[in-house]
Amino acid sequence: MTLAAPNHRATELAAAFVELRTALGRVLVGQDDAATGLTLALLAEQHAYLEGPPGCGKSELAAALAALSGARTHTLVFHRDIRETDLLGDVLLSRHRHRGHERLRRELIPGPLLQAEIALLEDLPRSPGEALGPLLRILAERHALGHPLPLESAVATGPLEQVEAPIDPLEPGQLDRFAVQLRLTGLLTGGLFDEAAVLLERGAAREPSRAGARSAVMSTATRKAAQRAAAALQVEPRTIDAYHRLLDRLRQRTADESASGDRLMSDRSFSSAALRLVRAHAFLRGAPAAAPRDLGAIRYMVAHRLPDEVQEDFDHILEELLGDPPNVTMAETGAQMPGAQSQGDDSDGAAAASPASDSWIDDQADLPAPPTLFGKPPPPAQVDPLLRALVGRIERGRIDPDTDPGGQPRGYRPLRDLDELIDADLIEALLFADGRLPGAPRTFERKRRSAGGAVAVLRDISASMAGRLTVWSSQVVLGILRVAARRRMRVGYVEFHHRALPHHVGGRLLHRSYSRLAEQAGQAKAVGQTNYEAPLRTALEGLRGGSGRNRHVVLLTDGLPIIGDTTVRRERQLARRLGVALHTVFLGNGDCPPVLDDISIETAGLRFHGRPLAGGGLRLEER
Amino acid sequence: MRDLTPLRDLLDHHVVGHDEVKTALLLALITREHIYVEGPPGTAKTRLAEVAAKGSELDFFFYQLHRDTRLAELVGDIVLERRKVKTDGNARGTAGEAERIHQRIEPGGLLTAEVAVLDDISRAPGEALNVLLRILNERRFGAEPIPLMAAIATGNPMDDEYYNEPLDPANLDRFALQLRVSGLIQSGVDEAKTLIDRFASGSVVEQPDPEPVTDRATLDALNRRMYQVEIGAAVRAALLDVLRTLVLEFECNETNSLLTDRTFLVKAIKILRGAALLAGRTAVDLQDLAALSWMTTFRVPPEAHEALPRIIGRVSRQVRAV
Repeated sequence: MTLAAPNHRATELAAAFVELRTALGRVLVGQDDAATGLTLALLAEQHAYLEGPPGCGKSELAAALAALSGARTHTLVFHRDIRETDLLGDVLLSRHRHRGHERLRRELIPGPLLQAEIALLEDLPRSPGEALGPLLRILAERHALGHPLPLESAVATGPLEQVEAPIDPLEPGQLDRFAVQLRLTGLLTGGLFDEAAVLLERGAAREPSRAGARSAVMSTATRKAAQRAAAALQVEPRTIDAYHRLLDRLRQRTADESASGDRLMSDRSFSSAALRLVRAHAFLRGAPAAAPRDLGAIRYMVAHRLPDEVQEDFDHILEELLGDPPNVTMAETGAQMPGAQSQGDDSDGAAAASPASDSWIDDQADLPAPPTLFGKPPPPAQVDPLLRALVGRIERGRIDPDTDPGGQPRGYRPLRDLDELIDADLIEALLFADGRLPGAPRTFERKRRSAGGAVAVLRDISASMAGRLTVWSSQVVLGILRVAARRRMRVGYVEFHHRALPHHVGGRLLHRSYSRLAEQAGQAKAVGQTNYEAPLRTALEGLRGGSGRNRHVVLLTDGLPIIGDTTVRRERQLARRLGVALHTVFLGNGDCPPVLDDISIETAGLRFHGRPLAGGGLRLEER
Repeated sequence: MRDLTPLRDLLDHHVVGHDEVKTALLLALITREHIYVEGPPGTAKTRLAEVAAKGSELDFFFYQLHRDTRLAELVGDIVLERRKVKTDGNARGTAGEAERIHQRIEPGGLLTAEVAVLDDISRAPGEALNVLLRILNERRFGAEPIPLMAAIATGNPMDDEYYNEPLDPANLDRFALQLRVSGLIQSGVDEAKTLIDRFASGSVVEQPDPEPVTDRATLDALNRRMYQVEIGAAVRAALLDVLRTLVLEFECNETNSLLTDRTFLVKAIKILRGAALLAGRTAVDLQDLAALSWMTTFRVPPEAHEALPRIIGRVSRQVRAV
């Protein structure tokens, strides 16, 4: 098969997008991958989701894409109380008189969001799922109220998942509407101090920064022509072959139960959207057809589709598959483009400061890595069944929302009080005021989930826990800390042998100093004998002052209690009264002491048993 | 050129003590950054904000947040516009009339104020604050710029025992300056005596309305001058070293801290320039780095915040030595 020589026009069109990519790269220091991902999204007419910690420049980058591309843009800031009319448009209320009766009809007139070429959806996850459903469907179908939308790309921003308690994280299915998924890292917290220095230098200029005052680098005609040309690009047969093999690899890796993170390889995303991105990648490179190396574009899709470890390995997986090094970053290839050269010359140093190509993955390690007591870290995988069950239990405590006037709208109820008109259905309120509505208008039923909660970990450090068991229990503790940190739950940590050794921070057992506890958990040494009573008493005393349903104690032990009240009768009673769930984890090859079962059963806690395996692993299962 | 000495004097005249909060308030007005002051009830938080606003003759908006706070209460009124439109009638050819209903916001409150005092911000649900704080951050509502110079938020300390939902970290980050105050009497400082003497003398009317002593033009000029304050490579290097220490030695990360790029790499420069300007300097000096501790109060773990003066001292010595 012979490939057509790249024609002049295509090169010009590609140059416009390379210029866009370069200009975007200059907006934020050290976020080159996000700039590339967004450029590809617009070129491939795909939606993009940008997430990252507060203040890392998500909104600025999205706004810059809109301004530089010259597209007609509408920005919508999502919040708890967003209404259908904010999303879709004005209401047209028509009255038709027909044979003596009146018929009222309510329609929507497409609003600015439905007329936009780029839709910026700021803080998307802050709206309740109920409000998002219809919008996300419209975005996917690109069709609303009976008309096709002019929409090219919707760019949504959101916080890092689950870090902020009041937010319900978007589900992978909802996020799947966004073909491109990008995670931004903070320069400071990501340790990119050279890039941070560049940003500080920019701020030292003697005038206020004029963010937002950016002019378009291309015309709408160019943008649309480039999108058409990119979509029409050939995909080489060997690329398709490589893509099948890549998907095989990703499937294999994802099937591994132990990896944590999302798994969603939907047909929708991995057929048309993926190949549009691969074509866009080739087009941006100035290539006449999509070669296997253009599969690199898939890595801008995986933040919420593949487990974290697979994401981190993505470049490596692709490299193995292609049999050559994967350093095919856009920054390099783009610089070879004719249009990019002139842009590169007056670069203010931002491009030079771009990080290595694999820094696009924000590794999710909120906490220090597990301790390495034996030189190499044991596989963290095996504590996952426990963590998953625990997460399920914690979520159950949060799942049933209480009615609360400050909560999220979750359905409707009749108006009870005129003060509630502010929260009523707009049109019904209007008709009500006109005296045309029989009965009262519907108003939002507001509910909120109980946020917060607390978990105390009690860890046996008696002499029998020495060696391998110490490492395993460290991992369980670190896993629990990570789960708690994501939900902003307070944590407490008590090590025990014959005595309870609580780790107080600021004089309290329960607090949010996760990393400090993580450090503690890595330093535990095994000494002494086992006492259940003292640590349980300490934990329950700490939990006593709090409130709410979501309170847990996890007891990690390998032995029978020898000291103290071995039946812990009073503690069991207290836990029941406080509504605290006592989860027990028994480590070791022997039989689990019956008292642990009693503790958990009485308090509706989980029961786990971890058996050391001959090969050095640990099999953790429910008792 | 005029400076803010008269405003400072006014604050001193009306409120005893709280030196740091007063300085930080002036800094907020110069740098146009928002400020959050946390402290127990009755520590003159709101009074300081009010005196600063009235003393600079600025349009002032006061709002007491509560747990049902709705956006509309803060930004004006929600207006429904109803417009008759012609329709072709329905399929059966009957005559029809229709109304187009458009919802918009008639700007008021926060959207028209120059200084906003948001009292008891910790009481509002995090979600309700989101849009409010985004307006504060962007100083725009929709496409329209707003005249707001500084928002001054106050909050009560949130004790975990009775309040188990912290302020959303992203929301707290919108306030560049963050201070904690304690009551003069409770902490037994010398000013407590002055405070009591003042009210004992009988010559002071409680809560007199402050006279304007400065104006918007002066504040605008100071803001322009702030950008002329030089911040050299040495100070920038020192700032970065302080931040590096927080990340590497004190293990500040995305989970336990709000060490955001926006605040510490962009706004910190403004705060340092403002601090230099307030001290009457035309270039930022290493001693201005002390202002950083008004940014870290609720952003880093307590032990890191407490260690900040020490870190700054060490870094400054190193930079001077080079």
